[in-house]
Amino acid sequence: MNSNASLVTIFIGMVIINNMVLTKFLGLCPFFGVSKKLSNAISMGVAVTFVMLLAATATSVIYNYILVPYEIKFMNIIIYILVIATLVQIVEITIRRTNIALYNALGIYLPLITTNCAVLGITLINANNNYSIVQSMVSAVGGGLGFTLVLIIMSGIRERLELGETPKSLRGLPIAFVTAALLALAFMGFSGLL
Amino acid sequence: MQNNVKNNKEKRRGLIAVKILENKFYPLYFLIIIVFVAVSLVMVVNNVTRGKIIAERDAAIISQFKVIFSEIEDYKFREEYYEIYGDGDVIGYTFIATGQGYGGEISILVGINTDFTVKKITIITNTETPGLGAKITENFFTDQFAGLSSKDISITRNGGKIDAITGATISSRAVTDAVKSELEAKIEKIKGDN
Amino acid sequence: MTKATDKLTAKKFWREVLKGFVIANPVFVLVLGLCPTLAVTVSLDNALGMGAGVIFVLMGSNLIISLIRKITPKLVRIPVYIVVIATFVTILSLVFEAYLPPLYESLGIYLALIVVNCIILGRAEAFASKNTIILSIADAIGIGIGFTISMLIVSFFREVLGTGQLTIFGRTLFSIPVLSESPLTFFIMPPGAFLVLGLLLALFRWLGVLKNE
Repeated sequence: MNSNASLVTIFIGMVIINNMVLTKFLGLCPFFGVSKKLSNAISMGVAVTFVMLLAATATSVIYNYILVPYEIKFMNIIIYILVIATLVQIVEITIRRTNIALYNALGIYLPLITTNCAVLGITLINANNNYSIVQSMVSAVGGGLGFTLVLIIMSGIRERLELGETPKSLRGLPIAFVTAALLALAFMGFSGLL
Repeated sequence: MQNNVKNNKEKRRGLIAVKILENKFYPLYFLIIIVFVAVSLVMVVNNVTRGKIIAERDAAIISQFKVIFSEIEDYKFREEYYEIYGDGDVIGYTFIATGQGYGGEISILVGINTDFTVKKITIITNTETPGLGAKITENFFTDQFAGLSSKDISITRNGGKIDAITGATISSRAVTDAVKSELEAKIEKIKGDN
Repeated sequence: MTKATDKLTAKKFWREVLKGFVIANPVFVLVLGLCPTLAVTVSLDNALGMGAGVIFVLMGSNLIISLIRKITPKLVRIPVYIVVIATFVTILSLVFEAYLPPLYESLGIYLALIVVNCIILGRAEAFASKNTIILSIADAIGIGIGFTISMLIVSFFREVLGTGQLTIFGRTLFSIPVLSESPLTFFIMPPGAFLVLGLLLALFRWLGVLKNE
């Protein structure tokens, strides 16, 4: 009943070949907002990956044990987003209680993870591909790592860009987009990998 | 006199409203009510559109099968294969076979007659090399499968009747092996179901 | 509260609508709603379909959120907004799946992702929760149309450069002779999306509209 794609294929696919940011355009808001400092990029990437894993696991359980058997797949949007909102709330409270430094570093971007296309996106991708719970978890980790990878690369490039002479109109966001275009082009070279 | 009565009624209503709004659990009740209304609304819309959605999906599947069984009138989903009906009777079966080609997964729609010989195959998805392996989608290759029983389905080098495409042995073999093994599995299943 | 300032004038209504076109253009000025803009703008048809969907959800959610703004407790307001938006998106998805299957197929997961489109939640929090119903609807229409126009602009460039033709509702509007035989497929693919949007953002800044960082 579930997809019979291998875990390795799913993982490599999500990290490189079907990278969430560069091929599916998911997770862009933090991508362009946070990616100017390397340390922020890593924290953000790890936080998002963690939430993606939690969300994918929870929603996959709901999908495989409730939505499909009871034929209420159409309820997925409402249920998934509520699950995600709850998870982010819990994660936020946990971080605030255990690691104040991290909480302050992530700042407003932590609650914004709720509306991050990548988190809801990965749950929808898992549902579309009919993944089992284990497959969904692998897919989420792969997707999150792919997101983090690209975030780190972008922040390195943008740190350099700040030092250069950019034309006034292109400064800031526009040149970041052009950089992303080149990055996406480079990643397309991976499409023959599997 | 009447004004006084009206004023008192309004004051009482106002007091009740304030009491509700200041109840400690009001936020929770409010959220629950909103969720309840939302879910009901979605259920209603789903009931209204359900028939049309199912009809659309059926039409899409039938037009896909029509390529193989031009006389198709109806089909029945049997978990791992489809029974094809024409003229009131079962005229054949269809199922999907997948194989690992040179560039990735190949998806093949296989239609078989009631005597378990192949009626026709079509390649649904593939990521083979254009100009070489991608030629598996062309009629000169797929037409070879028509009329064969599973014992004849292997490439000529292995004693079968399928001529592999020059320069695309891996792709050709992937399709051939996938069709053969899936066909044999499905024959067992169909025999077991009837 | 004086009655004079509360009076709803036609001028006020249309000013809210037009605001969404340029000054508060969601894509080029506020830089929100990027995910669908980049993914869906492969063709004009897709952009129109997505735009229509976003307008529907924006109007519905702004309407309801403005309607209940006085009884919504601050503590749970975000989850409430999310549920309202998710409801409208689900309804939209079901309607498209039933009556516009080809559009439903091309939009794919981006249809459901309207739910986390920053534009919609942003307007709910910034505007609809603080303004009257009629003004909230005006805001929704304006921002929605502004969003649709932005997407149409991006998809215009991507479709013309990437396929050499321009099609709408299945009919080819025009076809550029040399370009349609060997189009610059780059523009239909992900890198092309980033490039077109980046250059358009630069253009808008040059025109003096986008704020400098």
